[in-house]
Amino acid sequence: MHDTEDLEGTSRRSFLLSTGGLFTTAWLGTQWAAITAAAHHAEDMAAADLAAAPTWKGFQFLSESESKDVDAIAGQIVPSGRTPGAREAHAVYFIDRAMSTFFAAWSAEFRAGLAEFQAKFHALHPDVSSFAAAGSETQIAFLKSVDRTPFFETARLLTVLGMFSSPKYGGNTAGIGWKMMGFEDRHAFTPPFGHYDANYLGFVPYPEKPA
Amino acid sequence: MPARIFKPGDAVDFVVVGSGASGGVMARELSLAGYTVLVLEQGPRFGPGDFEHDELKYNFLNGITNDPVLSPQTFRDDPGATAKQPRMGNSLIYARMVGGSSTHFTANFWRFHEIDFHERSVLGSITGTGFVDWPISYRELEPYYAKVEWEVGVSGLAHASPFDPPRSKAYPMPPLPVKSSGVLFESGARKLGLHPFPAPMAINSQFYRGRPGCAHCGFCIGFGCEVMAKSSSLYTTIPEAEATGRCEVRPGSYVFRVETNALGRATGVAYFDGEKREHFQKARAVVLCANGAETARLLLNSSSARFPQGLANTSGTVGKYLMFNQGAGVHAMFEHELNEYKSVQVTRILHDFYDADPKRGFYGGGGIDARMGSQPIGWALASGGDLPRWGADFKDRLEGFRRSMVSTAHCTSLAVESNSVSIDPTLKDAWGIPAIRVTYKDHPDDLATASFLRDRAYDIMQAAGAKRVWKTDPQPRRGSVHLLGTCRMGDDPASSVVDKFHRAHDVPNLFLCDGSSFVTSGRGQPTMTIQALAFRAADHIGQFAKRNEI
Repeated sequence: MHDTEDLEGTSRRSFLLSTGGLFTTAWLGTQWAAITAAAHHAEDMAAADLAAAPTWKGFQFLSESESKDVDAIAGQIVPSGRTPGAREAHAVYFIDRAMSTFFAAWSAEFRAGLAEFQAKFHALHPDVSSFAAAGSETQIAFLKSVDRTPFFETARLLTVLGMFSSPKYGGNTAGIGWKMMGFEDRHAFTPPFGHYDANYLGFVPYPEKPA
Repeated sequence: MPARIFKPGDAVDFVVVGSGASGGVMARELSLAGYTVLVLEQGPRFGPGDFEHDELKYNFLNGITNDPVLSPQTFRDDPGATAKQPRMGNSLIYARMVGGSSTHFTANFWRFHEIDFHERSVLGSITGTGFVDWPISYRELEPYYAKVEWEVGVSGLAHASPFDPPRSKAYPMPPLPVKSSGVLFESGARKLGLHPFPAPMAINSQFYRGRPGCAHCGFCIGFGCEVMAKSSSLYTTIPEAEATGRCEVRPGSYVFRVETNALGRATGVAYFDGEKREHFQKARAVVLCANGAETARLLLNSSSARFPQGLANTSGTVGKYLMFNQGAGVHAMFEHELNEYKSVQVTRILHDFYDADPKRGFYGGGGIDARMGSQPIGWALASGGDLPRWGADFKDRLEGFRRSMVSTAHCTSLAVESNSVSIDPTLKDAWGIPAIRVTYKDHPDDLATASFLRDRAYDIMQAAGAKRVWKTDPQPRRGSVHLLGTCRMGDDPASSVVDKFHRAHDVPNLFLCDGSSFVTSGRGQPTMTIQALAFRAADHIGQFAKRNEI
């Protein structure tokens, strides 16, 4: 339940249309097409992002064992629980896609870092087949010992990007990362925006300059 | 009137390099004054329909900013070390497009205070720094601050802050609607006896000068405005310059050298077009508004037999005294929803700690604001201090997104000679032009000031009734979007690059006007002052031209 309610259905275009005096200057007249085009474009933005989510066709970069460990790491960075975490958002799909496309320049370093992570885990827990196969407490304890390494920093960054980037990049499945945070990708909002500004009484001037 | 298109070989009165905060003003003012102006912009031209709510693209894939692959830089914090390319991105970041960084700025538009211009005289020198007075006063700049507010468009409430410097006019628009962060900040600060006030923002709060008011979409910082409410050069000064019929803005035109003749006068600029073909543009005068990083680089890359240290660099100060603005903040979570992802970044600020106070034991001052922080990705990636970075506590913080806000301190950075933009000895960009090397290490007083003000922000959030407050520590700056001080203004040609009218001491028809002209850093929000300086410079340059003094 949200504290404030935005005008459902208020599109940026209707917002603009309701703004008084729009055609009062010649200059804006020349810009009108651009602004309305932008409004239409933005109106469709959130829906378009969801619709543009790529169809999952299997891992392109990560091997099966790598993907399981990366999924488990991401799942501890943003754990599942009352609300979805990185696993439900398919952050690992995003990571695979990023490594094989727009972040390909990082891929060798990421793979080497992951191999080092796996080797270190295996040395500490030779009886457990992989990080992904370990219990949650074991995973958390191990991550605490490596959470300042460059590999972990990269994994954290990629997990966050995989949870909260536009679904068109392959993660944030069905926008569930945004829903978990309560973020809405809209083109226009109207005040009041939250609980505390709803009852603001106005700015009271100061009587005089302080000493 | 349609925009002017110059023919190849046409000489122009002024070639302006860069179309951002200052380049736009320069183009508008000089073309309104009757001169022909060609603006060369290295980046593309976008319209409002091209911008998106896409954090990955804009903040991680260089959607509109300088690309570290095509335009790489190196960084070092020790002047004796070999600079290396940062692992992620460039140190000095700017929007590379028509409108420049005025397109993606947050639009905080504080004026500098009177003290900023003569602080050295009041406080005395600071060992190991280049802390000096400006050659101009607030009084001289005041009419041009008013001009920015009225002709570019700033929303605010005049005389709301008891610490505000004198002003000749009120703001042309009322402040933007207060957000919950502003209400909480105001309430906490007033309880502590402080004086919060509505933030001046270069964003329309209502229909103004042909542009609509803000749609409150929440994507200002780092993004282009989709409704043209943000007063970016792209939507304000640039179209107005073009409307004179005397100005052409030519995107995709990367200037890499200012040419000079045997008399030591600038003859024009050499640039690459979008197909990497070289051109020469002849001009009667050259105005560099390429930002505090690229203006210095361009001069250093324009050396010649007559100017072996780089153009306009007889003083040896080109590129030196780079300043960023230090800062730090707190994250606070409240009981009810704030929904800070909506609307503009900042609606309340305070200047109670603006002035330096020798009793603190270190130099510096600043402002504190109430802000939304970032949209989801930036919000989640915030780190430092005691902010949780992963696991259950991290998840709690993410789930509290709608109940949270940030309060940030924006502070001074001292001018230190070794902090600089120089030319990397080996690295070149994708056009084969020597790349920027950044050398930067914060002065200890800058970090102390940021910590001090961060603690004041903490107190304000506690007084506002926050359920939880996390402090972040001031981080040693390894880069910035505030690119200040690399071609400092001064009366003495031996210790400064431009005079008080932004004319290069060494080259009579070369003017430099952008963040590079700054002598001190101010307290954190430089664009208002960059534009006021540009209005003032353009006024004088136009008069010089009229009197045939260029």
